[in-house]
Amino acid sequence: MIDRQLFLYINWPMLAVIFLLFSAGVLNLYSASAFRVGDGTALTSFYNRQIIWGGISLTAMIVVMAFDYRHLKTGSWTVYGLSLVFLVAVIFWGKSIYGAQRWLDLGFFSFQPSEVAKIGVLLMAAAFLAKIAPPLGLKDLLKTLLVALVPAFLIARQPDLGSALLLVFLVAGMVIYHGIRKNVFKGLVVTVPLLLPAGWFFLKDYQKTRLLTFLNPGQDPLGSGYHVIQSQIAIGSGGFWGKGFMEGTQSQLRFLPEKHTDFAFSVFGEEWGFFGAIILLFLFCLFLYQIFICSREAKDRFGSLLCVGVFFYFFWQILINMGMVLGLMPVVGIPLPFISYGGTSLLVNFIMIGLVLNVSMRRFMFKG
Amino acid sequence: MSLFKGNSHFHERFGPYFLLFLIVSLFCVFSIRLWYLQVYRGEYFSQKAQDNLQRRQPIYAPRGLFLDRNGELLAVNEPSYSLALIREDCPDIPSTLDQISKWTGIPSEEIHGEFQRGRSMVRSFENQIIVSNLTFDTLTRVETEAPHWPGVKVVVQPRRKYLQGEILSHVLGYVARANEEELKADPDLRLGDNVGKQGLEFTLERILRGSRGLRRMEVDASGRVLHQEVLVKPQSGQNVQLSIDLGMQSKAYELMQGRSGSVVVLEADTGQILAMVSAPGYDNNKFVFGLSHARWQELLNNPHHPLQNRSIQSTYPPGSVFKLVMAGMAHMDPDIRESDRVFCPGSFRLGNRVFRCWKGHGWVDMTKSLVESCDVYYYQLGDRLGVDRISEFAIKSGFGRLTGIDLPHERAGLIPTREWKRQRFNEGWRGGDNLNLSIGQGFTLVTPLQTARFVAALINDGHLYKPSLLLGEDQVDPLPLPWSKAARDFVYQTMIETVEGERGTARRLRKPGVVVGGKTGTAQVVRLLPEHMEDDVEAVEYWLRHHGWMAGFAHAGDQKYAIVALVEHGGSGSAAAGPVVRGMIDYIFDETQEKGQ
Repeated sequence: MIDRQLFLYINWPMLAVIFLLFSAGVLNLYSASAFRVGDGTALTSFYNRQIIWGGISLTAMIVVMAFDYRHLKTGSWTVYGLSLVFLVAVIFWGKSIYGAQRWLDLGFFSFQPSEVAKIGVLLMAAAFLAKIAPPLGLKDLLKTLLVALVPAFLIARQPDLGSALLLVFLVAGMVIYHGIRKNVFKGLVVTVPLLLPAGWFFLKDYQKTRLLTFLNPGQDPLGSGYHVIQSQIAIGSGGFWGKGFMEGTQSQLRFLPEKHTDFAFSVFGEEWGFFGAIILLFLFCLFLYQIFICSREAKDRFGSLLCVGVFFYFFWQILINMGMVLGLMPVVGIPLPFISYGGTSLLVNFIMIGLVLNVSMRRFMFKG
Repeated sequence: MSLFKGNSHFHERFGPYFLLFLIVSLFCVFSIRLWYLQVYRGEYFSQKAQDNLQRRQPIYAPRGLFLDRNGELLAVNEPSYSLALIREDCPDIPSTLDQISKWTGIPSEEIHGEFQRGRSMVRSFENQIIVSNLTFDTLTRVETEAPHWPGVKVVVQPRRKYLQGEILSHVLGYVARANEEELKADPDLRLGDNVGKQGLEFTLERILRGSRGLRRMEVDASGRVLHQEVLVKPQSGQNVQLSIDLGMQSKAYELMQGRSGSVVVLEADTGQILAMVSAPGYDNNKFVFGLSHARWQELLNNPHHPLQNRSIQSTYPPGSVFKLVMAGMAHMDPDIRESDRVFCPGSFRLGNRVFRCWKGHGWVDMTKSLVESCDVYYYQLGDRLGVDRISEFAIKSGFGRLTGIDLPHERAGLIPTREWKRQRFNEGWRGGDNLNLSIGQGFTLVTPLQTARFVAALINDGHLYKPSLLLGEDQVDPLPLPWSKAARDFVYQTMIETVEGERGTARRLRKPGVVVGGKTGTAQVVRLLPEHMEDDVEAVEYWLRHHGWMAGFAHAGDQKYAIVALVEHGGSGSAAAGPVVRGMIDYIFDETQEKGQ
């Protein structure tokens, strides 16, 4: 199984960055879920659960690292196919939470098929693109995008617009990285903006409200705008040095909604200030840079594309979540990796990292 | 190992740069944004966070009380209960509003409308008053149910209560909920506040209101109060002691029962108003409580106009009362002597028009002309003096101009001039106009208060004071009555003669032990035949009857009072207004004397 040699090639800096990010996340969760007042005690178990999920995820990561990623090139069809099956299944047997049917209950364990789909799409797109020499023509481009669009459509109707968009962006990022023909690129530049207004009609009312609110947050300061306004107050009031660990008045006194999940970064920003937030931002960039390095060092096109896929997987999440929390983007329910609470999300993150480490540690293993 | 020369076999020209570009952009954009939020605007958001934590709630200041000159309470405050909504604590505003509608029985659309109107005026974590003046039933219902409806609160505010209702309605006016313009114009006002709308409540708003206090409360996001302290203590409004004597006021209102008109009693030496009644009155408490549209329409459409303050807003021809002014003027004219006589055959011919006197007086001198109120004497006087002199003199005597009383919407009345007539009718002044002016008819219009002030000036050495409703208010710079002392004395004596003399028109005012003077007046509503004027009042349709004036004074010892009554459509002044003034004199010199000594 694992060659002892391989152990030497594990990307330790990457692991160090992840450890720091994960710790920051747990610490932040501890603060966000420990209330000094009110009846919030029910939330205090979140950081415990996050640690347990951390252990599970770490194990999963090691498992993913263990076998040679090149087997995934053929296995990608299986994972992709399976995730489509799950996505269809969730339509019929899914559990409904907050009006969205996203969960599949397997009795002992329930999970979100959309998370599995992220892995499936990533593998599938990497495998698919690896076979085509860049730059892509229109036909190949559409085929690759279709890999994302089929599950994205199923996810969007759950509804989970955030995850659906993430899939599309993920593949789009990979495609751009891989290279597109100039003419095709020019064509896209013209047509995509034209398609956007059409997309408006597919949005649910609350999604339209969110977009409009983003454009004019003062319009409904107590409805959709509330999150964003309170989030900016939390972060802004942190000032340069922050209010201190567990001292955030905005978050501790529950003005901030969803502070353990999507708006976890607001808590961090309030308590650690500009100083802490910049360090966290820097860690994220370092993390992305590490993935980038891995993609550069991969031995084959498939491995490199896998890393690029993972890069975009994280990149979009960081961009969208921080953008939302900082009031630069509309509110879309996408968590911040390692910082937001969420077992499945953590598991998938670590699996993704496992993939990268897998590629990275095998960078010297075989020739050309 | 250099980044782009490494042993990767698959680097495209663009891809790697693209990823690096994304990383750098991510860092740059977000760090700039973080800097902006946390450092550049950190102070602002800190304040916002503080505001979130600390709700400020008003502590209502009780409105200043009204007392009469003897310390009798006239207007007080009583607690009233309002239903307020704190938007931030309310998870589902529409259904909460529906619930409020169920509790109060007010239609849902009205409640929603009220909410929408007010929401921009109150911050989301402050009380937005939705329904004021809860009835007891509603209050108990809300008190038991409110805990199940987060964001709903019962707020106690002081509410005005007028103890005398109709009797003082035109003096005190009323408070009612501030409307949108008032809220915009006055930053101290908050939605749901009451504000003076009429009467002294309006003019003394600043003094009466006081200033609200502020309570700071620390709350968590669900509105639970963690800690509170009083930041600013409320300052009660100042109490206001009126110059009004409640006893006189009540008596005057009583005397006017069943009539429309006005009674004004002035303390002549100070210009202080002891009684000022406009009848009919209205119940000002109803306005505080929130007048229904139907009730409002009813008040507006009432043919007797209860909302009109007849003492200062209604203008009437002064009728023969104006002869006082004419006589004073004639007395000062070096070419006219008191003893100069005019023959009154009962009418006066000017050109081809005949102007009537109410009876033939025979030979009439200046004294007799006033005592018996001979029109012909004044026709001739008017013809001789001319409009320019008359109007100037009348205006200087306080007519046709505002008295400056501390009440809103006072009207000036009218003393016509050549210029005025040209502008108003595009016509020149005619001789006939002179005659009408001279007997207080035609275009001339005065208010009861102007008349009372004028009478006061006759007996107080010629000071036209600003009539004051506030006890002890300093009277600065009264206007001088442009009369010589001799002229004042003459008119004064003649008014006494009008009461005391056998043929005087104000004989009913006679009261032993009290010096009383008076002048009757009859203000023509329409030109009627002379036989309609005296005894046959009941035979004439109400709206066609003349208004009756009685302008009088009474004094005993130091006390000098100017007392004026006007009874609308009462017929002659003597018959209609005389008894009212007489009643006041009786009250003042019998009942108050008994009380005082």
